[in-house]
Amino acid sequence: MLEWLDATALSTWLKESPSVWAFPTVLTLHTTGMGVLVGASYVFDLRLLGIGRNVPLSSYRWVFPTLAVGLGVNIVTGILLFIKDPTHWGTAFPFFVKMGLVIASAATVVPMRSLVLGSGAEQRDVSSNMRLLAIASILAWSGAITAGRLLAYVVP
Amino acid sequence: MNLAHLHLIMNHVPTVGSVAALGLLLLGYVRRNEHLKHVGLEVLFVIAVLTLPVYVSGVAAHQEIRKLKEVSDDAIRIHQDAALIGFIVMEFAGFVGWAALWQWRRHGRAARGLVPAATVLLALALVIMGRAANLGGEIRHPEILDGGVAAPAGDPERFMTWTVNQVAVYSRWAWPAAETVHFLGLSLTFGVLLAVNLRILGAMRQMPFSDVHRLLPWGMLGFGANLITGMFFFVGQPGQYSSSEPFKWKIIFLVFAGANFLYLTVFGRPWVNGGKERFDAGPGDKALAILSLTSWLAVLWAGRMLPFLGKAF
Repeated sequence: MLEWLDATALSTWLKESPSVWAFPTVLTLHTTGMGVLVGASYVFDLRLLGIGRNVPLSSYRWVFPTLAVGLGVNIVTGILLFIKDPTHWGTAFPFFVKMGLVIASAATVVPMRSLVLGSGAEQRDVSSNMRLLAIASILAWSGAITAGRLLAYVVP
Repeated sequence: MNLAHLHLIMNHVPTVGSVAALGLLLLGYVRRNEHLKHVGLEVLFVIAVLTLPVYVSGVAAHQEIRKLKEVSDDAIRIHQDAALIGFIVMEFAGFVGWAALWQWRRHGRAARGLVPAATVLLALALVIMGRAANLGGEIRHPEILDGGVAAPAGDPERFMTWTVNQVAVYSRWAWPAAETVHFLGLSLTFGVLLAVNLRILGAMRQMPFSDVHRLLPWGMLGFGANLITGMFFFVGQPGQYSSSEPFKWKIIFLVFAGANFLYLTVFGRPWVNGGKERFDAGPGDKALAILSLTSWLAVLWAGRMLPFLGKAF
């Protein structure tokens, strides 16, 4: 299966095309998506932890469509990056650690979203469970970035 | 114009600029005029931002003139070490000055000791930069030397830039660790600037500008982490960057983004009616918000494209 993927035309194009619009652009879009996704998450996590605590939670509705855009871009570009070297990533343990962290990070967004969408115009209070979730979110996203960076340097 | 030429054009900015900023600050103390101190710190911030292209273009100039027979490589390295220390102190002064400006805008006054600390750091940066400038002059101006070129040859271990280079090349962990911090800092800074600029563009209308302003130090924290790690890459492997086209664009857009960051921190207009909710920014500020996001995206793109359009990894 991984070998089949490795032999597809798409994989070959990503591996061999000298164009800046091939692999380099996919990789750069992946980093841009990361900045949007993790950046917007960090900002909302900081709000849950009390940075700007007098701002109503409903002001943060913009965060969730933004996260959806960042996540969408990174799922598409991430799949392309995987297709470029499927036999490499598909057998690298740290890669699955990264995937686990990304899924965990994205999962923290679900309760945050229902909190914001269900909050009244004046709701400002954040429960201690939500604050814990914010800490988990910061750690999981940071872990995912760390794993992603180390994949590029440490995995042979 | 090549980067060596740019270095010659800009190399007086840190010293002359520091004199101007320091003069304004001291005048502010003598006249007990807070507004003059503001202006002094604003000039300091601009000089700190401009010191970045001065430093990095210096490395390009080094690559250009090291081939010349009458130029001593040691003289250049001595200048470079002094310039690196000056750069570090200058950026530190810039951060402290920025913190004072941020507090001024937010609380109406800076924490006690912050402005004097910025002033002292700036004075220190001026002294070190003055020395670096003098050493730089000695590279190509024999007429200012008293007893000919004194720099002894060999022994590269005594140079700070050499040590950083050794760590960058031989440490197994330093480079990947710095890369990781660089990406974390990128996300934090980008997220904060995204929130601030989206607010100016009309998102989160219930949120007063003053609450968006509250986020700026977090953006500065990410930026500080990226300045430190970025300079580690640059000093560690200067040859990868100094002649790289995307690196040049990255620095240009960083200067834009830095100027915009100062605007967002201190200027009144976007924060007018700061306490009031649902206040809308004017078209000029909206245009600046788009320019700010574009600049940060360009910094990110140029940085990520370094290995492909340039030769960095």
